[in-house]
Amino acid sequence: MNDDLKRTHLYDWHVKHGDVIPFAGWEMPVRYSDIREEHMTVRNTVGIFDTSHMFRFIIKGPQAQVFLQTLTTNNVSKLKVNEGHYTTCLNELGGTRDDLTLYRVGEDEYIWITNASNGPKIHSHLMKHSTTFDVEVIDKSREITMIAVQGPMAIQLIQKIADRNIRDYSRFSCYRVKLLGYDCYLCRTGYTGEDGVEILVLDTPFNDEGKKKAISFWDQLLKQGEEFGVKPCGLGARDSTRLEAGLVLYGHELDEETSPIEAKIPYAVKFKVEPHYIGYDVVKQHKDEDGIRKTRIGLVMIDRGIPREQYPVSFNGVEIGVVSSGGLSPILDKGIALAYVKPGSVNIGDTVEIDIKGRMRKAEVTKWPFYDPNIYGASRNQ
Amino acid sequence: MSDTDVKDDRKYSKDHEWIKVEGDLVVVGITDFAQNSLHEITFVEISEVGTVLEANSECGLVESMKASSDIFSPVGGEIVEVNKELEDAPEIVNEDPYGKGWMFKLKPSNLDADLAGLMDAAAYKEFIESL
Repeated sequence: MNDDLKRTHLYDWHVKHGDVIPFAGWEMPVRYSDIREEHMTVRNTVGIFDTSHMFRFIIKGPQAQVFLQTLTTNNVSKLKVNEGHYTTCLNELGGTRDDLTLYRVGEDEYIWITNASNGPKIHSHLMKHSTTFDVEVIDKSREITMIAVQGPMAIQLIQKIADRNIRDYSRFSCYRVKLLGYDCYLCRTGYTGEDGVEILVLDTPFNDEGKKKAISFWDQLLKQGEEFGVKPCGLGARDSTRLEAGLVLYGHELDEETSPIEAKIPYAVKFKVEPHYIGYDVVKQHKDEDGIRKTRIGLVMIDRGIPREQYPVSFNGVEIGVVSSGGLSPILDKGIALAYVKPGSVNIGDTVEIDIKGRMRKAEVTKWPFYDPNIYGASRNQ
Repeated sequence: MSDTDVKDDRKYSKDHEWIKVEGDLVVVGITDFAQNSLHEITFVEISEVGTVLEANSECGLVESMKASSDIFSPVGGEIVEVNKELEDAPEIVNEDPYGKGWMFKLKPSNLDADLAGLMDAAAYKEFIESL
């Protein structure tokens, strides 16, 4: 055992049923069966993921809203109780400290869910700024188990185990409900492109009793989901589904040197907000197409080959950028990638070349998601 | 590692490739241990027929759902055949790494010297136990 690596409540289950690897300081399952099989389960029926390695902060107090608006780019004042949104937290230069989902769960109470790799950094950032506001920041990461249930059958599965009608809860809503008798927050969000939910199982402290409770919840979820074809899914399918959906991953498409405008996630950034958040002036410039250093594009391989992070991208023989994430799309059965290139250097439909270890291979610049949104994903034709 | 298959009729490299001498040619592939750690192999690409390689030089790559890995040729020589089956069905490497999942054949240029640097089955078994 590596003492530096952390484990989630479900670790014992993962070791017994999956292939556990080190990831962002955690020991997490990369797969239980096959990554492609788990990927297709999410696209066709429903998959469940342990996402408890993410960090969960409760932020509450009379000044919670103004505090959060100082630190995040979406419009916090627009959030009603039981609503959430995707947003980013910037540094002074408009680079991204982290991307996160923020839910308003009470009049003056919010939940901030942030990446595993950035948890400690964000925690200190929140603590530092909280001293000048009437607000309290509580790290609940170890007392809440987090499970994502994703795929076209996800809502049916959750409805079966919920104590009330949850079908009409809208995208990004967050309600306190009982699932399988457990006290939970149910958030209609995810990271796969599919419809689904992220569940916060409350009152699961990181001790024998809490772990037992979390594993029991997970087991029952699998049991109740059998009729819908549910499968446990690991980090491999989590990455391949998010890539196929064109969703950004911190450390790849986002970092302290990349603004959310450059990352092409403008829906996370609002400008009619008070007060102005940290980094406001820089992203405002970027919004007005001033000072943008790079822009994110999607690529689908025309030639054979799998694009990977750091591979150079060229257009008409001139290097224009680099791949930030790449892999095989199980839906297309082709290599796909997200890449950063010089602004204005290519358009949708252009053919670029990716340098795959010295072999120049053609790829087409495309939109994301990489799958047909009429057939797959949350907005598919029912 | 007790369930990892190692064949007695060939030699092994530390990069987890196997080689088997067949007449005056050498067949090269990756080991059961390698295919098992890569898991779902999605793509195999080997340098073209006619390419002349030095021993232990890079001559292709294997992609899995997880990552990309280089293929090295454990012996020097000229590539005379590449397993075309793997183009459309790279999963054959997972299913039969020592048989139908072979990757390329080459005409060795310095076989005896190159063989001396490789492990026999017993040594390779010990090597993977030590990892």
